[in-house]
Amino acid sequence: MGKTMIEKIIQRASGKDAKVGDRVWCNIDLSTARDFGGPNCVVQFEEITEKKGKVWNPEKIAFTFDLQAPAHTEKVSNNQKIIREFSKRQGITKVFDVNNGIGQHVLLEHGLVLPGDVILGTDSHMNLLGSVGAFATGVGNTDIVASWFEGTNWFRVPESMKVVVKGSFGKGVCMRDFLTFLVGELGAAGMFFRATEFSGPTIEKASLADRITLCSMVTEMSGKIGLILPNGDVLEWLAGRAGDVVRERVEAIKPDADAVYVEELSYDVSDLEPMASCPDAPDNVKKVKDVAGNRIDQVHIGSCSNGRYEDIKAAYEVLKASGFAPVAPTCRTIITPSTTEVMKQCAKEGFIGAFLEAGIVFTNPTCSLCTAEHYGALPSGDVGVSTTNRNFIGKVGKGSHTYLMSPMSAMASAIRGVITDPRDILG
Amino acid sequence: MKDTILRGRAWVFGDDVDTDLIYHNKYLAETDPKEMPQYSFEYYPGKENFAKEVKPGDIVVAGRNFGCGSSREHAVYCLKYAGVPVVLADSFARIYYRNAVNNGYPVLFAPGVAKMFSDGDEIEVDMESGTIKNLTTGKSMHGDAVADLEKDIMAAGGLIEYLKSKATE
Repeated sequence: MGKTMIEKIIQRASGKDAKVGDRVWCNIDLSTARDFGGPNCVVQFEEITEKKGKVWNPEKIAFTFDLQAPAHTEKVSNNQKIIREFSKRQGITKVFDVNNGIGQHVLLEHGLVLPGDVILGTDSHMNLLGSVGAFATGVGNTDIVASWFEGTNWFRVPESMKVVVKGSFGKGVCMRDFLTFLVGELGAAGMFFRATEFSGPTIEKASLADRITLCSMVTEMSGKIGLILPNGDVLEWLAGRAGDVVRERVEAIKPDADAVYVEELSYDVSDLEPMASCPDAPDNVKKVKDVAGNRIDQVHIGSCSNGRYEDIKAAYEVLKASGFAPVAPTCRTIITPSTTEVMKQCAKEGFIGAFLEAGIVFTNPTCSLCTAEHYGALPSGDVGVSTTNRNFIGKVGKGSHTYLMSPMSAMASAIRGVITDPRDILG
Repeated sequence: MKDTILRGRAWVFGDDVDTDLIYHNKYLAETDPKEMPQYSFEYYPGKENFAKEVKPGDIVVAGRNFGCGSSREHAVYCLKYAGVPVVLADSFARIYYRNAVNNGYPVLFAPGVAKMFSDGDEIEVDMESGTIKNLTTGKSMHGDAVADLEKDIMAAGGLIEYLKSKATE
């Protein structure tokens, strides 16, 4: 019987011919933690080892600071210090401090993520690294600490499902809209514990940014990982960052023709329209045009789901199509690039100046409005539009509500000050 | 009473309870698990007083996909250190399940359990047999404890303890 991508990845990492449902111990290629969760790991590790412990391999551990970067509370600044000092003691050099950006994106840009890798992180959206064929998974601090001892951890081999996508997006429609549609179709538990392979012509020609977007919300369908086999420009980009070894790695994780999937779904995106996750759940999905005109107080574009250069460029194109109209004075608008590299590219292309002229706050790279403990937190009663991945009630401020949309829909809404279908501006 | 039998009041929650509702992101910077219970369910509409009113022995009952969302282990600690001895749910989200197992924190899979209880009902759970009784209404059902490797990890008291026991074998 053939193997799916996740079965091949787990086979390599565990050395076992593992079947669905088996529990196996996998070697960890990279064990990462953020300035959230990371300090908890350090405190726990030091307690267990009475401050005498050595991590199994400092080369395979990384820390990323993105929850609050730079820290704006003493508590977080102290937590970041705990990580810096621990790293120094342990000889861990992969510490991406407050000037880098969102962890997974930074790790990708630094060539630390290879197809077929098994990666842990204290971020439930670690699994967006499935966009390059890595099995990355969000875990708690105990899992990270456990991996620091011998570089292994336990996994249950998940069932695999397949989502095949064809067709081209119409004007004003993008991968985020397909993702939102999919979350609405499958619901909050639609990928329960499964690994999902995304394939088909639309995926094969998708940019890395789009692939990241697609894989970033598998978590919101309770999936374990969304996997895409790197090809074309994405494979070249990856080889440029991580070396030619990625080519062999891609071959090694190709699913077999007779691999077994518990479900196979196929979609054509040609007629898809801009979609929105409405308050207060990602799977409360409607067409943007059906909620158009609703009052909003703030728009936020960024996050690990939609903070890449291509996402910000898409927002810029909407602004451009409006004749560089200023954003509505009643709508605070914030754009946050995912990494410093993305920010530099935005600066080079002149986007940042145009955004500032339009009255937009353009910030340093960080996770920003995924938590209420960040700039842009919403007061009770306010309604926000965001390109992040969760809109549970009160997530970015008690009593506030959030619509999740694409960068294009978000920018169109910022310009008009009410929820707006981007096609109304793009024509 | 057998020591595997737990009795307490039910706190009943719906489907897809995400980790921000269990333990809000506002308090992520906390590193001391014992400080976490004071924030439990603060953002859950109608359950804002949980942290103040919960008594050791009270039991959390929820619908499907309990603990979806973030990887924060805080969402397990905040109940464990509040003295909630077990969480019963139709099903658990992946990361929450892992975090519970890794902490030796008991969870029972009991499809339909949320419908069998109302807030304040008296619950009796036999952790050995998996029998869940609503002493207020007289109804009962069966819940499944974790199995396979998870059972061994749970029996050791958590993942770290499990690894330690393996290392000394």
